[in-house]
Amino acid sequence: MIEEDDGALVRRCRDGDRGAFEQLVIRYQKAVYNAALRLLRDADEASDVAQTTFLKVFEHLADYDPSFKFYSWIYRIAINESLNVLGRRRPHEQISGEEADEAPGPDRLIEGDQARRAIEDALMRINPELRTVVVLRHFMHLSYQDMGEILALPEKTVKSRLYSARQLLRDSLIEHGAT
Amino acid sequence: MADPVRLALIHAEIDGELDARQRAELARSLLADPETRALREDLRRVCATLDAVQEVEPPPQLRASILGALPQTRRGSATSWPVSSWWSAPVLRYAAAVAGVLTAGAIVFAVLDGQRPAATDVAGTLAGSRATTTLDTVQLTSGPVAGRVSLVRDAAGFGLALELKASAPVDVFVAGSGYTFRINGLGQQHGPGAGRSTVALPGFRMDGQSVDLTFLMAGQEVGRATLKPTDGH
Repeated sequence: MIEEDDGALVRRCRDGDRGAFEQLVIRYQKAVYNAALRLLRDADEASDVAQTTFLKVFEHLADYDPSFKFYSWIYRIAINESLNVLGRRRPHEQISGEEADEAPGPDRLIEGDQARRAIEDALMRINPELRTVVVLRHFMHLSYQDMGEILALPEKTVKSRLYSARQLLRDSLIEHGAT
Repeated sequence: MADPVRLALIHAEIDGELDARQRAELARSLLADPETRALREDLRRVCATLDAVQEVEPPPQLRASILGALPQTRRGSATSWPVSSWWSAPVLRYAAAVAGVLTAGAIVFAVLDGQRPAATDVAGTLAGSRATTTLDTVQLTSGPVAGRVSLVRDAAGFGLALELKASAPVDVFVAGSGYTFRINGLGQQHGPGAGRSTVALPGFRMDGQSVDLTFLMAGQEVGRATLKPTDGH
């Protein structure tokens, strides 16, 4: 079975084909949900963000510029929605990575689930702007060009943020005895 | 601390973006400086761990929830979506919210009391269906959001009729007994929430319940209101 490309599905959506929109949901719900989950570390909020993202896509399909990649557009909406949710959290609601207490001591190399958990804790300790570039690069495996398009930033700025984020993650892991 | 040039080379190596000349330059740095070697190993380990994090499957009901929450008409489109799927789709917490946004033909009869405007004040803005009854209305007169919100009932059940005006998109959190949901992007003259809209309240019952509304702009609370059926309804 040949999959229709995003552009064709968007055109069908614009013509009122609900089935085409469902195909877009099937295609992107996992990525959108995961991006939100990694930024928010809250499954309920990630579901809400995914739902809001697709609703906004649906409502604004007429505004979508086909000269941009569709996935860049939808990821941009998802990232912005996630950042909005983070902005609404009261300071004490920020998930600050207390679970890092369970990380092994500095004399042990961490592995598997512990490593994943430690890195997720560390990710929540860096600021959302830096966390966003990590999510786009390492979890969504996007190119710098795509990241720049999604974040509306020059590639050079994206790289600079990512480099800073990686080093902060490294420092955070060391500080919390997780590396 | 490695200098910025060496750091950039390490990151570029991790990203697989080194050319031959840069690779040789990094190799020389690594040979000459143990600190650079240690930093490179740390960063490689961090990135490898990040890359190894597995994707999580979204909740199985997410797709149905998204599709069930779609409004029946899309901005800029004359196409109507089938109403039946709106009511029958499974929902998550918010699914019933935006899903209930009815078309511009939704009709509200305002029955206002006390300091609220008389019904004649709003009659000109409302279409004339006898099937919809307004149970309570709150006027928003102060603050950055203006307009009114009504608790209404028609043959399909209870709902909220919202007519909001604001300088920026307004999100409304709706909380009642056993349900909460959010409506995004209302109050704009142009955009998904432009004009009047009606949102279904499938969980609402006429047993003294009230509906609490919180209005948000740019993530900040800008107002609250409570709707409750008045005596006689």
